Amino acid sequence: MSETNMRLLVVDDEPIVGKRLKQVFGKIGFEIETYTDSAAALAAIAEKPFDIVVTDLKMEGIDGIEVLKRVRAMNPKTRVIIITGYASPDTAELAQQEGVFAFLAKPFRLDELKQVIYRAMEADRAKE
Amino acid sequence: MALRDLLKGFSATGWFTPKACRPLPLIFSQFREVLKANNQALELIADMGEKLSGEYLFDLRYVEATVEEMIAAMRRALTAINILTQNQCVALHEVFTPMEARVRAILNKRDDREGPPLLWLTEVETRHWPLVGGKAAHLSELLHNPKVRVPEGFVITTRLFHDLLDLNGLRPEFDRFELLLSEHLPDEEGLEALRRILQEKVLRAEPPSGFLDTLTEAITRLAASSEPPLFLAVRSSAQEEDMDFSFAGQFHSELQVPPQAEAVYRAYLLVAASLFGAKAIRYRRQVFPEGSPMSIAACCQRMIRAQASGIIYSIDPMEPGSQSMVAVGALGQGQAVVEGQVPTDFFRLSKGEPPQVIERVIAAKHEALRSTGTADGGLTMRAVPNGQSGVPCLDEQTLLELAGVAIHLETFFKRPQDIEWTLDPQGALYILQSRPLLITESEKGKPKLSEKLEGYELIAVDAGRVAQQGIGAGPAFWVETLADLKDFPEGAVLISHRDSSQFVQVMHRAAAIVTEVGTPASHMATLCRELRVPCLVGVPDIMVKVVPGEEITVDAEDRRIYRGRVVELLTYQATTTMDLHMAPEFRMLRRILREVSRLNLVDPLMQEFRPEGCRTFHDVLRFIHETAVLHLVELGRDDRCLPGGLARRLDLPIQAGILAIDIGGGIAPDAPRDQIPFSAIRSIPFRAILQGMMFPGAWHQEAMSVSFRDMMHSMMTTPQDTLSGQYTGHNIAIISETYVNLCFRFGYHFNIIDAFCHDVERDNHIYFRFLGGATDIAKRSRRATLIATILEAFDFSIQTKGDLVIARTSNLSQSEMERTLDILGRLIGFTRQLDVQMTDDQAVARYAEAFLMGDYGIVAG
Repeated sequence: MSETNMRLLVVDDEPIVGKRLKQVFGKIGFEIETYTDSAAALAAIAEKPFDIVVTDLKMEGIDGIEVLKRVRAMNPKTRVIIITGYASPDTAELAQQEGVFAFLAKPFRLDELKQVIYRAMEADRAKE
Repeated sequence: MALRDLLKGFSATGWFTPKACRPLPLIFSQFREVLKANNQALELIADMGEKLSGEYLFDLRYVEATVEEMIAAMRRALTAINILTQNQCVALHEVFTPMEARVRAILNKRDDREGPPLLWLTEVETRHWPLVGGKAAHLSELLHNPKVRVPEGFVITTRLFHDLLDLNGLRPEFDRFELLLSEHLPDEEGLEALRRILQEKVLRAEPPSGFLDTLTEAITRLAASSEPPLFLAVRSSAQEEDMDFSFAGQFHSELQVPPQAEAVYRAYLLVAASLFGAKAIRYRRQVFPEGSPMSIAACCQRMIRAQASGIIYSIDPMEPGSQSMVAVGALGQGQAVVEGQVPTDFFRLSKGEPPQVIERVIAAKHEALRSTGTADGGLTMRAVPNGQSGVPCLDEQTLLELAGVAIHLETFFKRPQDIEWTLDPQGALYILQSRPLLITESEKGKPKLSEKLEGYELIAVDAGRVAQQGIGAGPAFWVETLADLKDFPEGAVLISHRDSSQFVQVMHRAAAIVTEVGTPASHMATLCRELRVPCLVGVPDIMVKVVPGEEITVDAEDRRIYRGRVVELLTYQATTTMDLHMAPEFRMLRRILREVSRLNLVDPLMQEFRPEGCRTFHDVLRFIHETAVLHLVELGRDDRCLPGGLARRLDLPIQAGILAIDIGGGIAPDAPRDQIPFSAIRSIPFRAILQGMMFPGAWHQEAMSVSFRDMMHSMMTTPQDTLSGQYTGHNIAIISETYVNLCFRFGYHFNIIDAFCHDVERDNHIYFRFLGGATDIAKRSRRATLIATILEAFDFSIQTKGDLVIARTSNLSQSEMERTLDILGRLIGFTRQLDVQMTDDQAVARYAEAFLMGDYGIVAG
């Protein structure tokens, strides 16, 4: 599996996050969709599953933990990465229980996210 | 050992000699306090700077919290330096207070309200950018650029805009309007109604009292410096207009305005009211969907009597991959061109060095926009005389000159540019505006970028660390000594072993920078971010992998370096619309860093190196650090402050006669009381120097044969001749584990090395001073030149005056520090008696080369 056929979805209510990640991951060959509204993101996931979902934690309406739960329910193979500026140990633990792949505190280096995503891809490869 | 215990030990041995002398350990611990506070502030600045490099995702909360921490650290550093210098730096408080206020104004989004209502373009500094808007900011930068001609003028700032709102009671409506704009789904009818009200009321706004007089003065001054008749061009310069996105044609411009205050003020009102124009608001909602209050300034410049005018794009936006640029132009004023009122000549040029015209389509230009010729000003369409309509608006030579300017501006601003030009009747080319050229490339049906890149040879993958993101290509140019910078070609990639803040001299011409060592937290990295030069640091062996002059492409996003010019990557760069820089958090951080991180006091040896010369937080910190170092340098200079009883002799294989005073961890605890062997020296920087002094062949034991004349000279020297008087006293080394202050009094010359060295790069410094000699001033000066030449080769910044040499370097890693100190040790030995042999100027070059080649034997021979 290479980047070229990886499907990546990003949902964050700050438009900059999606725009930025689209630039970074689009450039290295990911197929990437970005959303600022979590309901719209979930609708897209329901239509066609993604390999990796990157979600913000605090969002109006459906929050990151809820996104995690629903994505895992729809497709357990999807890896979910939560990014947040408000990481508390409680939410981190809750996310762990719900099967989050990784938890990243803002601000973070884009390279760090890239590495996490590569790790997710490798974990998949190991399973296959 | 605790400081208290150390002090006890020192005071017991009669440490407190003359009353002006403070205990050495106390001074040193105060010095370390300065370093600590300085570091905290610098780390926060570096951290914020790194966020701006484009490598991070962060939010507004991060910016606010970090700024508060940084201000607190700055205050601690100011306190610490005043304790160390016993209040010799109180002036710094006065310098820092307004800086802090400006940063707070940015946090509170009030930075476009504080400052003068009128500023000359030549007076605009980076801190004024929010006041003068993007267009004027760019123009003021170009005004200092010798390759570009810009019409002189002044700016009516956003301060006046805010004064008008307050004075005319428009503030409540303005605030409501901005609030509505920031809503996700605003009440469209309410918005439209408010927009109209504001537009109409601004058009009728009364000026603050005295402002028309200020305008009259400014116009008179402008008239004095220009050829009559004077008319003005009053153009919009909205906040951040042109900075990262276009706003092209969204706001009003008023041309050929007569030189009267009322007329200029009226023109300004038309510009200001256009902020609330329906078109401008639509555009604004597109680029700032999150909302963001805006204000507007106006740039008032001398109108150029245009022979011809037009636009040049530094890259063809239709075919960004083609490496060609396009220009259009018509006769008369350029407004007719940008508004598409007249047919234009079309030129296509190759982007080579030098550029070449590859296509020329000349239009029949029957009309031109020209002055009405009346005192009321204004422009009108006039018929072009028969026989002139088919002549190209630019001759070949001027066209090539224009192309050269376009290439230069693209490198200068690091983005393809959309440039408005005009030509006066004497054939002088003026630049009226230069802004980023936005290019959109259709992705449909094209292979992905990653696939297109597969055909290129990679020189480095996962290369080093990103100091500033971006992509740049050009011929590789080696910078081995600072002297190489003089020959740095336009658009080249700078390759160097280590980084230097001196590279700032060529950053405007550099496509990218790659260094073998260095960190993203260095002064150079800060400057790269400030000037947006793509930069990778810590790329091992790049100087081995690349041949000087060969074309390379640096991708400082994915940390890759390609052989050749990767057109696809450059196109990608040009077509990516830098959304990132428009996000509110980025814009705020960028503004704060402009006040904070730019380093103007690059060279401590410059004249401006005074508290009043500090313009940013970084300047203040740099000044504090250098002042602290200078304070330490003087430690060992006054023998009277040194406690004789604590000085311990060294037992070295060379006869250097050094006494060491340990102020903490410089000598092994189990070392003998006297005659300390080299192996017991624990001081990192002192060890490195001694190692160099003891390097085989570097230290010459035998005395030089001194000529009769030199002997006479040294005997005849009177004490008044301070530059060559005999220095009495011992060779003293004040040391700690991380510090050395070494004073040599070699009879007739005086030499200080002060160095701090541990694993935090930015704490590290070397200060070197050399003065005097036994021979006549000519020979002594030649030796000084020799020392300067050698130290320059090791990237020191140097000041020489007669037989005095002062050299400094800083921000080196511990291993680089040790290597450099080792070299200094050799240099001390090598040049100790060398003035005697400096019989002619050629000797300088000969001995410098011998030293650099490691041929220390030349001295004995």
